[in-house]
Amino acid sequence: MSKIDNAIGTLNAMERGGATEFCPRFASSTRANMLVTLIYLCLLLSVPLQDTQRLLWFAAYPIVWASVVGVGYGTILRRSLYVLPIIIFIGIFNPLFDHESAFIVHGIVISRGWLSFVSIIIRGMLSAQAVILLIGICGFADICRQMRTLRIPTFLTTQLLLLYRYLSVLLDELRTMLRARAARCYGRKNMSLKLWGDMAGQLFLRSVDRAQRIHQAMLARGFDGVMPSYSHAGHSGSHGIWAIICSAIWIALFVALRWAPAIDF
Amino acid sequence: MHMSDGLISTPVAAVAAVAAATLIAISGAKVKQSTRSDLVPLTAVLGAFIFAAQMVNFSIPGTGSSGHIIGGILLSAFLGPWAAFLALSSVLIIQCLIFADGGLLALGCNIINMAAMSCLVAYPLVFCPIIRKNASVGRLLCASILSCTVALEAGAIMVVAETKLSGVTALPFSRFLLLMTAIHLAIGIGEGLATGAVLAFVRRTRPTLLSHEESMTRTSKGAIIALAIAAVAIGGGLSFAASSDPDGLEWSIEKTAGTNELPTTGTAATTAQKLQSSTAAMPDYDHTLSGIIGATISMLALWGICSLLAHKRAVLTKTHQNGK
Repeated sequence: MSKIDNAIGTLNAMERGGATEFCPRFASSTRANMLVTLIYLCLLLSVPLQDTQRLLWFAAYPIVWASVVGVGYGTILRRSLYVLPIIIFIGIFNPLFDHESAFIVHGIVISRGWLSFVSIIIRGMLSAQAVILLIGICGFADICRQMRTLRIPTFLTTQLLLLYRYLSVLLDELRTMLRARAARCYGRKNMSLKLWGDMAGQLFLRSVDRAQRIHQAMLARGFDGVMPSYSHAGHSGSHGIWAIICSAIWIALFVALRWAPAIDF
Repeated sequence: MHMSDGLISTPVAAVAAVAAATLIAISGAKVKQSTRSDLVPLTAVLGAFIFAAQMVNFSIPGTGSSGHIIGGILLSAFLGPWAAFLALSSVLIIQCLIFADGGLLALGCNIINMAAMSCLVAYPLVFCPIIRKNASVGRLLCASILSCTVALEAGAIMVVAETKLSGVTALPFSRFLLLMTAIHLAIGIGEGLATGAVLAFVRRTRPTLLSHEESMTRTSKGAIIALAIAAVAIGGGLSFAASSDPDGLEWSIEKTAGTNELPTTGTAATTAQKLQSSTAAMPDYDHTLSGIIGATISMLALWGICSLLAHKRAVLTKTHQNGK
């Protein structure tokens, strides 16, 4: 149940908007943030695994930008821990198979395998943080609208918006079903496959009925296959220029972080 | 099976993204041709259904463990492979963007591994040939188990290939493949049983909702052609991405100087090096370790400064608002 509550909580937080009232207007440009995030990810992933120091410098972007938009880096760091299990599952084999020495600390040999393992974790967490930051600043609906302007098929963007809208409704319905089951199962937590099939089937039938009602309602309101998008309150000219300057500074910094010589401490 | 950005390289991500985008464009075009006017809301709501169903774990018989559904075959059986592919891609996009489950650059890989392998490979090639009109529950279950197993195994093989091509893991290819396929065999059987259970329930209560009985023969040909194109694109793209040749800058330096690492010469450079050595906080440490420690301390300091500034700004803004 807590998994569902967490998911509903995340969706509600998204609705309220991750970026707070302190987010400057120039920092909230969706297109600029999408571009900066994409370039950040490309350059971050192009850093060799043995270059751990360089990867660490890339943390500057989520740290600085999170405080500029008022999200708080601690929150983003906590949420990015979610990616750890799959990364550890695949990366943990590196120390086991790559024993070549990378450096020695007080007589203890640290292998290249351990170094690359740490690098994989840093890469994974930083890239997750960049995405969490992007969605926290811009919101999912705005990103979908921008995707439409980038010529991504209308069918996909329309149903992405619909899916996002109905996710919390269905999760709420599922929560009600599970609560009803929990009240009647005398503490049994495990769910047999047959029971799971019946419950999922019930949820499926309710979903289909709901889809048909939604379709009728959409047709009644003149739906022609494309979700209408309201025009945003808009950024003024000066905000647009600031957004461009900000993006250019970030991109220049990423390029410098990627190719500048390593610093000796 | 959601791959994180940390597990792939940029070229592999780019090739997979192009392949996924191509498949999405083809699926979009195919779905547009459909005569069903309710397909858009149905696909979206069933995508949300799959997302919700993934939240509930079921016990895997005989193992004592539990698992959750992925839903590619289940969606394909109700919507047909193209719309199901789009629905599952949407679920993956939302999981990536909102729940940080799977990386943004790895999104193409995840769409290929999970959505394409189940909806466009296993469904037309395994599920549809087995299932027939008015098939028995046993046949339905058998088709579900086989197709889900094939889908997950194909996805697992793709994960291994993408990770190895990205040069991320030191695990030998054969052992990595064995590990992943063995794990996903068990998951595939569980997924198949769960899919079969839902399909059997819906067929018992509302049989008209199952689309596969009419559409299976029409969809397989198109899916196979699309997959052949995607396979050629991925194969060609990945072989390019896996090139071990030096990059443009390294190539130019190597051609000019005979080596791709230039020695430091000149008084300015030597003085700078000496200055750097004298100011180095950890001169006795290896460059790699001192670099890592230095960068970590710098980032922690940056975090502290940024947090302080953000806090000060928040206090100032609140004071300003209260003053108004």
